[in-house]
Amino acid sequence: MARSPARVLIVEDTPTQAEVARALLRDLGHEIRLAETGAAAVRTALEWAPDAILMDIELPDFSGFEAMRRLKAEGLEAAVIVVTAHGSVNHAVEAMREGAVDFILKPYAKARLSVTLQNALEKRALASELRQVKAQLHRDRFLGFIGASPTMQAVYRTIESVAASRANVFITGESGTGKELAAEAVHRASLRRAKPFIALNCGAIPRDLLESEIFGHVKGAFTGATENRLGAAKLADGGTLFLDEIGEMPLEMQVKLLRFTQTGTFQPVGSSRPEKVDVRIVSATNRDPWAEVEAGRFREDLYYRLYVVPLEMPPLRARGEDVLLIARHFLTLFAKEEGKQFRGFTAEAQAALLAYSWPGNVRQLQNVVRNIVVLHDGLAVERAMLPAMLLRQASTPRMAEAPPAAVPELAAPPAASLEPPPAATPIPIPPAPMAPVPMAPASMPAPSADPWLPPSFEPLAEVERRYILAALDHTGQDVPRAASLLRINPSTIYRKLQAWKAGSKD
Amino acid sequence: MTWMPNAAPSTWRIDHRSWQCEINNVTAIDPEIAGQLAADLPREDFVRILRTFEADLGRLATELEQAAGSGQLDLYRRAAHSLAGAAAAVGARRLEAVSRIAMDPRRTEDPRGMATQIRQEAAAALQELAALADNPPGPG
Repeated sequence: MARSPARVLIVEDTPTQAEVARALLRDLGHEIRLAETGAAAVRTALEWAPDAILMDIELPDFSGFEAMRRLKAEGLEAAVIVVTAHGSVNHAVEAMREGAVDFILKPYAKARLSVTLQNALEKRALASELRQVKAQLHRDRFLGFIGASPTMQAVYRTIESVAASRANVFITGESGTGKELAAEAVHRASLRRAKPFIALNCGAIPRDLLESEIFGHVKGAFTGATENRLGAAKLADGGTLFLDEIGEMPLEMQVKLLRFTQTGTFQPVGSSRPEKVDVRIVSATNRDPWAEVEAGRFREDLYYRLYVVPLEMPPLRARGEDVLLIARHFLTLFAKEEGKQFRGFTAEAQAALLAYSWPGNVRQLQNVVRNIVVLHDGLAVERAMLPAMLLRQASTPRMAEAPPAAVPELAAPPAASLEPPPAATPIPIPPAPMAPVPMAPASMPAPSADPWLPPSFEPLAEVERRYILAALDHTGQDVPRAASLLRINPSTIYRKLQAWKAGSKD
Repeated sequence: MTWMPNAAPSTWRIDHRSWQCEINNVTAIDPEIAGQLAADLPREDFVRILRTFEADLGRLATELEQAAGSGQLDLYRRAAHSLAGAAAAVGARRLEAVSRIAMDPRRTEDPRGMATQIRQEAAAALQELAALADNPPGPG
C-alpha cells in the first residue's frame, strides 16, 4: 500500500545522527526539516506543524522532554517518537509518560524507522479522528445553537451535510424552535458564507408588497415607488435567501417564486428586463407543508422545488437537558445585562424547568429566564422564582415517556407569555374524556370527587371532535398551534375538518 | 564514487579483500549497523553520512582534547556524549564504547588518556568505514 509522504521534524544536535535520519527519511519519501536545539524544535514545530517529530533527548539548550512539554502546552498534535540510546531506555519510559507515541533505539535501520514512523502516524491519525468524532457527538454548541441532546446532534449533522450542496432546504418546526437560526447555520456552514444571508418573513409583509420585497421594483412601478429598490433576491446574490413563514405566501406570489426557483431569474416590479442571480433558498414554516399542499394553500410544484432537503427542528420538550444548558446560557447573558448576581439554578428549579413541556420552546424559555432575572435577585434561581405555570406542571407527576397530555396544554399560555392563563379566560374544555390524562390545570374546577370520571360516556369520535374544535377556538383558529397543543400533526386537523365539512353536507 | 577520509594517515591502508578489519578481535565498526546503513541507502547518501561523521569526529575530538587539557569536565563530557551518539549512528562501536566511558561522571579514567584513546578509535572507525564505502554490501 502506498504511504502518503509525511512532514517529519528531526530534532538532533549531532550532525551524523541527523544526517542518518535525514537520509533514511528522504529515502522513504518524507518531507524533512531539522532542528538542532530544543528552542529551534519548538519554533519549527509550531510554524511548520509536522506530522511526526523524531526527538532526541539530550539537546544543547534544554531536554527533549521539555520541548515535548512546551509543544503539548501549545496544543501541537504531532506524533512524537523519542530517539534514545541503548543505555537510556528509562528515558524512553519517561518520554512515553510525557506523551510520546513511541520510541526508537539508536542506531536504527530503515525498516525499523519506517515501521515505527508509520505506526506513530497511524496512531496519531486515529486519535485525531476519534477526537473529532467525540467532539461531534458531544458538542453542545454549533453555529449559534446551544444543545447537546441527540436530537440536536442530528440537526447539526444535517446542517453540515447539506451545507456544501446547492440544494434548497426546507425547515419545519414549532414556533420558537430556532428555524431562522438553523437557516443562518446552513448559510454559515456553506461555501456561501462570505456572501449575504437575507431573511424575509413572508407572514410579516403585506401581500401587496411581498413581490417588491423579494424581487425589488423600479422607480414608478407603483404609487410610492419613488426610487429603484433592490429586492431580497438581488441582495442575496451569491448567498442565501431565507423565506420564513413561506406558508403565508399568497398563491399568486408562489407562481413567481416558482419561476424564480426554476430559472434563477426574476423581474423587478415594473421592469421588463429579467435579472439572473445565484441564490440558495432556505424556507421555513411552522405548519405541515404537505398539509398546506393538500389543503390547496401551497402549490405542489413549488413544494417540490423548495422541499429538497427537509430539516425538522425538534421542540424543546424533546431535547432533554438542553433546557438547562439553554437556561444557564440565558441566565448568564441576562444577569450580565441587568447587573444581577445570578450564577445558576437550584436543584429544585432545575427539576421544574425539566418537568415543564415548553409549548413556546426556546423563545418561551428565554422569556422566562429574562423575567426571573428582571424580577428577582440572588445567586441562584430558586423554584419559587419560576412562573406559576411551570410550578403547576412540575408539581404533578411527570409522564416521562408519554407525550404531554392535551388538557394541560390547552391551559398553557401563548408561547412567549410568562403569565399563567387568567382565571377569567374562557377555555372551552369539553367534559373530561376517557383519555388517561393524569393531571389537570389548577384553574380547572373538579366536577366531582373523581375529576376524571365523566358524567356520561359518549362516542370517542365526538370527544375527539369537540377537543379539536376547542383547541382551535383556544388558538384563534390557528391550526398549527392547535395541532401543537394536541400533539398531533396539523394535517390531521385539516383532514378532520374536511371530513366533518363533507359529513355536514350529506 | 570512492570515498577516502580527509587527511588519512598512513596507517589507513585498507584491506580491500575484507572490510572487516580485525582489531583486537573486535572490528572498529559493527558490520550489522554500518553494513545495513550502506545497504539501505543510495551510495551517495552513505558517503554523505561518512563525510558528516568525519567532520563530526574532527570537531568533537578537538573539543574533547581541549576540554580535557583545560580540565573543563562538563565540556569534556558533552563532547564525549556527542561523539558516542555520532559513533552509534554509523556503528562505530569501539569509539562509542570509549566515548561512553568518557561521558560517564562516575568513571575515574584520566581525561587526557581517554582523549588519546578516542582519537585512535576514531581513526580506526574512519578507516573501516572508508573500506565499507568502497565495497558496500549488496542489497539483502
